[in-house]
Amino acid sequence: MKRYGDHRFPGRLFIVEGIDGSGKSTQLMLLHRWLRSEGYGVVFSEWNSSMVVKDTTKRGKKRKLLTPATFCLIHATDFADRMERNIIPLLKAGAIVLCDRYIYTAFARDVARGLDRAWVRDLYSFAVKPTVAFYFQVPLEVSMERLHGARAGFKFYEAGLDLGLSEDPDESFRVFQGRILEEYEQMVPEYGLTVIDATQPIEAQQEQMRQVVISKLEKAKQLRVAP
Amino acid sequence: MKESYGVTLPNMRVNDLVGKLIVIEGTDGVGRSTQITLLKDWLEERGHAVLNTGLSRSGLVGKGIKRAKEGHTLGRITLNLFYATDFADRLEHEIVPALRAGFVVLTDRYIYSLMVRAMIRGLDMEWIRNVYSFALKPDAVFYLRIGVDELIPRVVFSRGFDYWESGMDIHSTEDMYESFRRYQSALLEQFDKLAEEYKFKVIDANPEPRKIFEKLRAGIARVVEGEPAKSAQIAEGTVPFNPESRPAEAEAPKEKAETPLVAKPRGESSSTPVPPAEPAAVPVRDGD
Repeated sequence: MKRYGDHRFPGRLFIVEGIDGSGKSTQLMLLHRWLRSEGYGVVFSEWNSSMVVKDTTKRGKKRKLLTPATFCLIHATDFADRMERNIIPLLKAGAIVLCDRYIYTAFARDVARGLDRAWVRDLYSFAVKPTVAFYFQVPLEVSMERLHGARAGFKFYEAGLDLGLSEDPDESFRVFQGRILEEYEQMVPEYGLTVIDATQPIEAQQEQMRQVVISKLEKAKQLRVAP
Repeated sequence: MKESYGVTLPNMRVNDLVGKLIVIEGTDGVGRSTQITLLKDWLEERGHAVLNTGLSRSGLVGKGIKRAKEGHTLGRITLNLFYATDFADRLEHEIVPALRAGFVVLTDRYIYSLMVRAMIRGLDMEWIRNVYSFALKPDAVFYLRIGVDELIPRVVFSRGFDYWESGMDIHSTEDMYESFRRYQSALLEQFDKLAEEYKFKVIDANPEPRKIFEKLRAGIARVVEGEPAKSAQIAEGTVPFNPESRPAEAEAPKEKAETPLVAKPRGESSSTPVPPAEPAAVPVRDGD
């Protein structure tokens, strides 16, 4: 059983992290477009996408059956399924794999829900260490503003409403996301996350991201699938 | 007083769990459920409220696991974590509330079965131990022990070989008998290791069910009612675990059990995150 940092694959793994409203998904989409246009074999792997576990997670969320512990474990199960059957085979095959959220999301969220920091880290230690982990750093007020413009209301678990932090969804969201932000900040030095200032213009962030990614592809010309 | 093997889950108070947690462990087909049915009746007759629970029965995950296993599609880490989720759900929603209400909780297998399955699929022992370190330490674990040669006729003549109980997901052979034999031998070997480490009360599962029941009853009476044990009952009821005392028949498949499919758990040193179990809370005879 290989642990974090033990894996050696010909492919590359780039992941994005950040609180909701940090703009990370937009940036990953732009990176995806660019890599494809450059002719690389690139695959997108979503958080919560494993077919086998999906139904259970959905049911649990819908019926509010999840406690912090089972919320954590069902997501770990889902992630393991993606890791074993999707991400690892792709990396072995030499693909560039892009992930919107990775284990750091789980570390931040689960610890914000009161789980033991060391326990959660060990739980996910089967995960492949990313080639680069981008962290889109943004103040809470900025992300809140962006989210308010984009959609009405927060989802139950997303706002941490299961924790009873506040009756008011907005207030609960703020407190919960604030805790998550603190966890992320701790992980920057701990895991060597590559910080992108997410208050910059979209183009500037993307430019920075591409520079970092290029430097990791230089020795990987064989990853190109088309001229 | 209850405690966990390591981490405490959020919102889980353990200081007011007055009930007793009793685990019946053993491999597939050893007769656990028969015993649990008998024990439940017996305990209820004696005035104890009993919750009877087992693996993959949780409201949250039970169905999902069943479906996934039908398709034989899960990776080994995934399957193990699915079981862990199921276990956490049962712990929080069944076991802990029942213990708080003063029930005797009889559980048909516990984390040890899950650990053993993960071990023989090559997962790290340290990792497995950490995953399950949120589990409560039981008041007692009774391990129904049987050799693979005694086990085979029981399984074949009652319900036939099952895909998962035969470890067909890890053995490439198409022969169910051969696969069952290898898989169950490997399970028994790992169970023996845990029996020592977690101080299981080992009960020979070869005799007829009634005899086994008598032994279980004696052991459980002491846990639940703290009855002063009559010395004859002790000697008969709970055998201190001794790897040398295994039934001779169990030695036969040893070669096969040592195929590379059986992972050598690394680092079984004292540096593991979860301390080994305390001896189960069967009162030591103090000069009665």
